[in-house]
Amino acid sequence: MADEAVALGLSGLSKTFPGTRALAGVDLDLRPGEIHALVGGNGSGKSTLIKILAGVYQADPGGVIEVAGRVAAAADQWSPRDAFAAGLRFVHQNPGIFLDLTVAENIAVGAGFPTGPAGSIRWRELRARTDALIERYHLRAAPDQPLRLLRPADRTMVAIARALQDRERNQHGILVLDEPTTSLPAADVDLLLDALRRYAAGGLTILYVSHRIDEVLSLADRVSVLRDGSLVGTVAAADTTEAGVVAMIVGRRLEAGRGRDRAVGAGRAVLEARGLSGGPVRGVDLTLREGEVLGLAGLLGAGQSELLRVLFGALPAASGELLVEGIARRFAGPADAMAAGIGYVPSERGVEALFPSMTVRENVSAGSVARYFRGLRLRHDEESRDVVAAMREFLIRAPSDVAPAFTLSGGNQQKLVLARWLRRRPRILLLDEPTQGVDVGSRQEIYTLLHRAAESGTAAIVVSSDFGELERLCHRVAVMRRGRLVAELRAPDIDEHRLTEIAHLSEEVA
Amino acid sequence: MSVDQKPVGAAGEDRTQAAPEQEGADRSFGSRLGASAAVQWLERYSLLVLLIVIVAFFGFIWMQTASTFMQLANFQNIVRSQTVLAVLALGAIVPLVCGQFDLSIGNVAGMASVFTAAVFARWHVPLPVGIAIGIALGTLAGAVNGAVVTRLGVSSFIATLGSAAVITGIVNWYTQGLSIIQGIPAQLTVFGGGNWFGIPSPFYVVAVAALLVYYLLEHTPYGRNLHAVGSNVESARLVGLGIPRIVFLSFVVSGAAAGLGGVLLVADSGAGNPSVGSSFTLTALTAAFLGATSVKPGRFNVVGTLLAIFFLATAITGLTFAGVQDYINDLFTGFALVLAVGISVLLSRRRLGGSR
Repeated sequence: MADEAVALGLSGLSKTFPGTRALAGVDLDLRPGEIHALVGGNGSGKSTLIKILAGVYQADPGGVIEVAGRVAAAADQWSPRDAFAAGLRFVHQNPGIFLDLTVAENIAVGAGFPTGPAGSIRWRELRARTDALIERYHLRAAPDQPLRLLRPADRTMVAIARALQDRERNQHGILVLDEPTTSLPAADVDLLLDALRRYAAGGLTILYVSHRIDEVLSLADRVSVLRDGSLVGTVAAADTTEAGVVAMIVGRRLEAGRGRDRAVGAGRAVLEARGLSGGPVRGVDLTLREGEVLGLAGLLGAGQSELLRVLFGALPAASGELLVEGIARRFAGPADAMAAGIGYVPSERGVEALFPSMTVRENVSAGSVARYFRGLRLRHDEESRDVVAAMREFLIRAPSDVAPAFTLSGGNQQKLVLARWLRRRPRILLLDEPTQGVDVGSRQEIYTLLHRAAESGTAAIVVSSDFGELERLCHRVAVMRRGRLVAELRAPDIDEHRLTEIAHLSEEVA
Repeated sequence: MSVDQKPVGAAGEDRTQAAPEQEGADRSFGSRLGASAAVQWLERYSLLVLLIVIVAFFGFIWMQTASTFMQLANFQNIVRSQTVLAVLALGAIVPLVCGQFDLSIGNVAGMASVFTAAVFARWHVPLPVGIAIGIALGTLAGAVNGAVVTRLGVSSFIATLGSAAVITGIVNWYTQGLSIIQGIPAQLTVFGGGNWFGIPSPFYVVAVAALLVYYLLEHTPYGRNLHAVGSNVESARLVGLGIPRIVFLSFVVSGAAAGLGGVLLVADSGAGNPSVGSSFTLTALTAAFLGATSVKPGRFNVVGTLLAIFFLATAITGLTFAGVQDYINDLFTGFALVLAVGISVLLSRRRLGGSR
C-alpha cells in the first residue's frame, strides 16, 4: 500500500451492532482513477461499510479513514460533513432524482439554485452550469429536458453529475455507487458501465458496490470481497474469474445439506406454470405439489416477488399457461386467484397487508367478511368467536380481538396476516419474506405454522433473501436469475452457500 | 411460546420495558392506565358532554337566554332546521369512510330540490313520483361523480368540486335564478312543518336515514370493505376487494342521500330555491369530521355525526339568542372544522406515539 498513491484508505474498520458484528477489521484501499468493486452476499457488510463511509453510522473506535493521503481521521469520529469535505460523493440504488423536473432543475436540487439579489433564480447561469456538466459527463440530454424523457441510464448519470458537480476536473473526487444497475434494463446497464469507464479514465475514483459478478468483472480494476463482515481478499479483475469470485463470496464451506429429509415426491400437482411471463418474469416453468414447501431464492430484483404477484393475479401475466389443480386459469385480479384457493402474504406488511387502523378481528376476516352476513346482518358474535379461536390457533398475542392492529408487535402483525390466509385453508399459499422484521420467537412460530399448514396439505411458495431460512423450511428451492428459473435444489441437498453461489453466477450451472 | 396473558395496553412485545424498581414501575403503569381510560372515556363522549354543557349553559346559567332557550318550540326549531343537513352529512360519511371526498353534496341537494319543485309545478306529478324523481336525480349525480373518480381516475376532490360547479350552472340556467314556489303539494309542506308526537316530522326521515347508513357501515360486508379501503387501499386490493366498485357505490349512496336532502329542503321551505344548496356542503363535512372525533374516535360514524350537527346548531342558536349576529354561523363552523380535524390528527398521533 505504501508504494502506491491512495485515493481512499480504510484500515481496521469495524462495526458492532447489539448482538452482531457487521464489520470486523476491514482494510481497503482505492487508487486514484481506479474502479474498485465491492461484492458480497446478503448481510456480508457491504451496506454497513458504505454507511460508515458516508458518516451515517459511526464505526467502532480504532479504525482509520484516510482520503488522498491528506485527511486521516478516526473512523468513529467520521461525520457526513467530513465525508463531504473529503470529496466523497454517494449515489444510491434509489438515486433521488425527480422525473418531472428538468435536467437543470435536478442538478440544482440539493446543490442549490444560483440566485440573484432578490432571491430569484438565475436561469441562464444554471443552464450554463448544466451545459458544462452535460459535456463533462457525456450526458445525452439538454438542460431543459424533463428527466422522464431520458433513458434510465442517463437518469442515473444525471444523478452522478449532480453528486460530482463541485468537483473541478474530477480532482480528488471519489464516487461511491451502490447497486446502480439493479433497476436498469440490460441495454442501459452497458451504457452506464461505458460512461463509468470514461469517468475513471478522466481521473475519477469509483467504489462500485454490486452483486452482479459478471458486470463487476467487466468494469472494475480490482474486486474486494466481503463475507460475514470480514474482507476475504482483494484481487485484480483481470486475474480472476466469475467462479473464483463466487467461491470467495460463498467461502469454502460447501458441505452436504443439513436439512432433514423432507422429500415430498409423488403428491398431486396443485399448481403448474408453463412458460409464464409477466413484468420481469420470463418463461417460468414450475410444478408445485400438495403439501410441498417450495423456496424461491435469488438476488434482489431477480423477479421472485413479481413471480408470486403473477401467480396471485396482482400482476398481469403477459404469456404462458397456469394450471391450478389441473384446470387452466387466467386471473384478472387477486379475487380470481383467491377463488381458486390461492393466498398471498406480501413482503411489505405495513404497506400491503395490514389495515393498521382496524381491529385484529377486522384484519383477520378482511376479504372473507361475506361469510358472516346472514339474515341481512353481520354476525359479529360469530365472527368474534372465530377470530378468538384463530388467534389461539395461529399464536397471535393481542389484548383482545378488538385491539387496533397497529398496536401489535411486528411478529404478531405478521401472524395476523398469516392467520387471515391460513384459516381459509388455502390450497396454495404464496409468501414473500414471511419473517422480515419479525423477532426470533415469532420467526420460530411462523415456521411452525407453515409446517403445520404443509402437513395438512397446503402447498406453499416462499420467497426469502435469507437462504438459511429456505434451507430450513423448504422441500425444494428454485433459484431465479434475471426473471428466469435457473436451477433447483432438493432436500436434503439444499444448502445456503450453494444457493448463494448459484444466485451470483451468470451462466447456467449443471 | 406460551400464550401468556398480557396486560391491556402492553400489546407490543418488542416494547420490553426494563423495570428496575418493581414497585415504582407498577404504580406508574397503573396511573397511566387510569389516565388513558379517562382520556378514552372523554374522547368517546366528548360531543355528548359538550352538547349537555351547552344546553345547560344557555338554558340555566346565562340569564339573558335562560327564559327563552329552554322551550319546547326552540328545540323543535333546532331539530327541524337541521334535518336537511343531517341527511347530507350522513350521506357524506359513506365516501369519507373509504377515503373519498364528496364536495358536491350541497349542490346536488340544491339541484334535487329545484327539479323536484319543477316537476310538481309543471307536470303536477303525484307526490311519490316527485319524491322519487328528486332522489333519482341525486343518485344519478352521485353515479356520475363515482364514474369520474373510478373510471377516469380523477381525484374525488377535483371531480366533485367540478361537478358542484357544473350542477350550479345547470340549476341557474334552468331557473334563471328564480325560486319555484308554485304548485308544491300541500301534503309535502305540511309534513315539513308538522310534528309527530312533539318531534318535527322530517326528523323521522333523518332517523330512518341514520339507521340505514349505520346498518350499511356496521352490518354489511360492503361497509366493512369500505372501512378496509379507507384504512389501506393496497392491502384491500391484495385481499381481493374490487376497489372501483366499492368507491363508485359510495358516491351513489352520498348522491342518493343528497337527493333525499333536496326533497326535504322542498318540504321545509315550500320552494325550489336555486341559491341555497352549496351552503350545506361545508357544514355537512364539518359535522362528519367533528363526529369522527367522538363515539368511535378515529372513524366516521353515524351517532357522532348526528351529535356534532346538534352540538353545532345548539351552540349557534344559543349565541344568536344571546344577541350575537348571523356571522357567528360561519365563524363557529369554520373553527369547529379546523379544530375537529386538528384534534383528530393529534389524537391519532398520540395513539400511534403511545404504541411505538
